[in-house]
Amino acid sequence: MTAELDPMERPHGPAEAAARRALADARELQGVFLRTLYWTFRGRRESGEVMRQCFEVGYRSAFFLSVTMGFIGMILVFQSGLQLLRVVPDLTLLGATFLELLVRDLGPTIAAMMLATRVGAGIAAEIGSMVVTEQVDALRMCGVDPVDHLVVPRFIASMVMTTALVVFSGLVSFAAGGATAWFVFDVQPLTYVNFSLLDRGDLITGVLKCLAYGAAVPIVSGWCGLTTRGGSEGVGSATTSAVVNSSLAVIMLDLVISGVGFVVFA
Amino acid sequence: MIELSHVWKRFAAPVLRDVSLRVPEGCLYGLIGPGAAGKSVLLKCLAGLLRPERGSVRVFGGAIEGLDEVSLQAVRNRVGMLFQNNALFDHLTVAENIAFPLRRRGMTDEAEIAARVADRLRAVSLPGFEGRLPGGLSGGQKKRVGVARATVTRAEVVLYDEPAAGLDPVTSQKIFDLLRREQQEAGATVIMVSSDIDRLLTVTDRVGMMLDGALIFDGTTAEAQGSLHPVVKQFVHGEVEGPL
Repeated sequence: MTAELDPMERPHGPAEAAARRALADARELQGVFLRTLYWTFRGRRESGEVMRQCFEVGYRSAFFLSVTMGFIGMILVFQSGLQLLRVVPDLTLLGATFLELLVRDLGPTIAAMMLATRVGAGIAAEIGSMVVTEQVDALRMCGVDPVDHLVVPRFIASMVMTTALVVFSGLVSFAAGGATAWFVFDVQPLTYVNFSLLDRGDLITGVLKCLAYGAAVPIVSGWCGLTTRGGSEGVGSATTSAVVNSSLAVIMLDLVISGVGFVVFA
Repeated sequence: MIELSHVWKRFAAPVLRDVSLRVPEGCLYGLIGPGAAGKSVLLKCLAGLLRPERGSVRVFGGAIEGLDEVSLQAVRNRVGMLFQNNALFDHLTVAENIAFPLRRRGMTDEAEIAARVADRLRAVSLPGFEGRLPGGLSGGQKKRVGVARATVTRAEVVLYDEPAAGLDPVTSQKIFDLLRREQQEAGATVIMVSSDIDRLLTVTDRVGMMLDGALIFDGTTAEAQGSLHPVVKQFVHGEVEGPL
């Protein structure tokens, strides 16, 4: 009954501890991902929960995202116009180039990075505080998988609302860029609104990115929340990790989807 | 009914060290020990909320340490648990908190659910509190709602983690009497972790003591009270002088 000396007693060195933690993290993230997919199709939703999350993710982010994307549109068009004027004194394709870039890459990626900071942090903080107050353990004891109850409604809402927000904030960004082009470079709106460079590949790549980012942010943030350790300090760390890891996931997915899109649609 | 065999669990350092324990069916077992001795971790291993790195945890005759989440759920459906922090769901009312495990386990008859909730609230002396939110309850009331939720499914095994922590002496004694009464009526196997030794020993059949992750004593309540083990003796009698 008394404790005996055992290899289990051996303290882990820093490298071994880090390796074990990385392995455990990878296993847990994979678990959250697979269970999210499983419960999306097999789980029971509380009535109105997905709508409530759509409101949290979508409506509450719309203003923040629109303002951010509007300013980014103005800055990019202004800088692009200046650079173009140094090479060729012709700005007729300024709007078309910006639109292609916005649809294929900038719109989804920048919007998702912004959502990672706002939505990701909120998800991790809410779930993390439930972990440290043992509410997540209580859920499991009540016959509920916390991934089904906490992550899946946010996952579904994020997939839908990220796409909607990207479209809306992209329009704001394009319009803000158009206003800049008109006032600064005297590019007329009818010249600026030009869809000639936009093709099927750009649209498919853009939509795929919206869906991938919309899926990645709640899964990564939910995982950060569910692996919270300790008290309020742990919740703070989980929130920071959620923002950092969600942003990293967005950047990595951007590279992968852009690469695949280039190969497929080039 | 509950059996742990050479269980090891570690986080940064070991928190359970080679723990072996057998709790007979229908027993009210008290688990005592100083802070950070591994008592709550042991309860969570029994509920399948934590997995031991080594050793076997047998509940209802089957080993649970290797089960996946879906299989574990079948075991947890037969286990109730009161958490140290009560773990009431903030956004749900008292009645919804108590009914939550029933609904999630597939009970759909709202009349039956309401009757079970009312019965539990009467048992914990909180009738009329159905519509209150946890944020508006005192510590003792939250504890009693936690007890009601832990016992509403009529679980065969109930685990209580510090059921009287932070409560005044009168409320503490009421809680312990309530838990004993509940256990006797339901015939459940109960494991109760508490630092309130004096009151705990008035209701337990057997007692185990943990120290630094190891189980250093396992015996009847009378044996614990008469133990000559210096640590057990000091802890049970609350002596200042001693090895602790």
